[in-house]
Amino acid sequence: MSRNKARNKPRKNKTYVGEQAKEALCSLDEDSPVIQAFRSFSFELDDKHDRYERIVKLNRDITIESKRIIFLLHSTQVDFEAKKIAILEEADSRLKSLCQNNFKAIALELRSHDPYLYHRAFTSGLQEFIEALCFYQFTKNECFDNWKIINGNFQYTDDTEASYSLLFSQCDFVLGIADFTGELMRKCINNLGIGNISECFKICNFVKSINTGFLGLIHAGNKEISRKVYTLRQSLNKMELVCYNIQIRGSEIPKHMLLNVLDSHDIENNEDEGFCM
Amino acid sequence: MSCLPTVWSVFYSTSRMVVINPNTSIGKIVVKGTMAEANKLITEIFSPFQDYINAEQDLREEIRTIMKEIEKPLREIVITLQIIHSEVDCEKIHVALLRSRERFEEVRKGYEALNKVVPAGQYYRYNDHWRYGTQRLCFLASLIVFLEKGVLIDRITTAQILGVHEKENIHLDLEDYLMGLLNLASELARFAINSVTLGDYSRPLQISKFVAELNAGFRLLNLKNDSLRKRFDVLKYDVKKIEEVVYDLSIRGLIGGSSNQTAPNTVEEDMG
Repeated sequence: MSRNKARNKPRKNKTYVGEQAKEALCSLDEDSPVIQAFRSFSFELDDKHDRYERIVKLNRDITIESKRIIFLLHSTQVDFEAKKIAILEEADSRLKSLCQNNFKAIALELRSHDPYLYHRAFTSGLQEFIEALCFYQFTKNECFDNWKIINGNFQYTDDTEASYSLLFSQCDFVLGIADFTGELMRKCINNLGIGNISECFKICNFVKSINTGFLGLIHAGNKEISRKVYTLRQSLNKMELVCYNIQIRGSEIPKHMLLNVLDSHDIENNEDEGFCM
Repeated sequence: MSCLPTVWSVFYSTSRMVVINPNTSIGKIVVKGTMAEANKLITEIFSPFQDYINAEQDLREEIRTIMKEIEKPLREIVITLQIIHSEVDCEKIHVALLRSRERFEEVRKGYEALNKVVPAGQYYRYNDHWRYGTQRLCFLASLIVFLEKGVLIDRITTAQILGVHEKENIHLDLEDYLMGLLNLASELARFAINSVTLGDYSRPLQISKFVAELNAGFRLLNLKNDSLRKRFDVLKYDVKKIEEVVYDLSIRGLIGGSSNQTAPNTVEEDMG
């Protein structure tokens, strides 16, 4: 009730306030310089907002496709070598198509505009793409390219040979890598599930190295990095616990049972090392 | 625990068990590999990134220093112009305006320095540092022009007063300029009230017309749900405040001429 009252209160005054504004609005000269100026401002703002929205749309497509590619890559570990190669080829072509279509479209939108103004619209898709690309490269070669090489993917030339590029900041790259460790963790656990022990150790060590890299960074005030590094550390903890369990109990338990040993409770709670059945 | 061996024995028979002997060299190889891998990752990925962060931090520090130089005259102009709320003497206001104009010289120098440090095409990367200051300066420039000529400052003039006009690496962002105008409306609402207190009854009318036109202009914009939109929502309260002042003046016949006629009508309508 009291809320309604509060809402009604200003209405009392409303009858006379606003009359003047209305009058002023009616009597306003449509061609006055102020109105003219605001018309052009309106055009400019709309152009900016529309461009932003178009990029957000492209960004969304990139995110979805990247997630699908990651999902596809997760299925490499259970299949034969021939099928694995086929999957990698498919992932590669899909990643390339993202670069050549979706990212190119963003780059075109941003041509002759300050990309930093629109950076927020496509940063999430870019990070997701880096995650997928790193995952692909890791699955294939057990390592991934550095920033310079990947940045080469975002250089384009148009029909008249004029070159343009997409803003690919180092920050997005590193944030993508941090996300990528989450996928590695998943892959590690999956490997455990199918009894592929050596792969578990390999992945865990790779994430350890990435973690070492992050530890050495002095990132003044970048919240997003701290947040992702926190997640990275949690993933790493899980993996380290997996490796620990394999090492200590591996000789006692059949391969395919290992995953059951590491039930979620055990993984999440570091203190609870003992297990009962 | 006691039942464990029996459960396991079933699986032992399937012979799918893993045998990892802690004494095998797996552990050692892994450790060696990790260090090499970590080093490679650090030199390939993380060191360049650290350099990148450092360079950015240095530049931000430089910009912050410049902004301090700009904010000093900014504060002084704000204080100087507060005189309009306590003084009607044209001469004194005129002096304040002149002094403010002089102070803008320092502002222009600051922006000139900023133009030199901001990398080409990266205005919006560092924009956070000067956005607020620029908005305040836009407001001050618009207030000065209003007091001098009674008209709305245009964008180019604003850019010229601030010293960001036709610079290579910096420019006046449209939204900063608009923010400045919205700040002007709030200041004018206060100015209208204080003018009445000081016995200047014609000022509120001028302000009312001016802000009404500004309001009409802002209504042409399609604003997104951003900070500009939130700030714009305040404009209607400023308009309201100014109209209340004009209303108070008109029902008391303090506005000379034709407005005396219309005022009582308005009151009657309210009653009905």
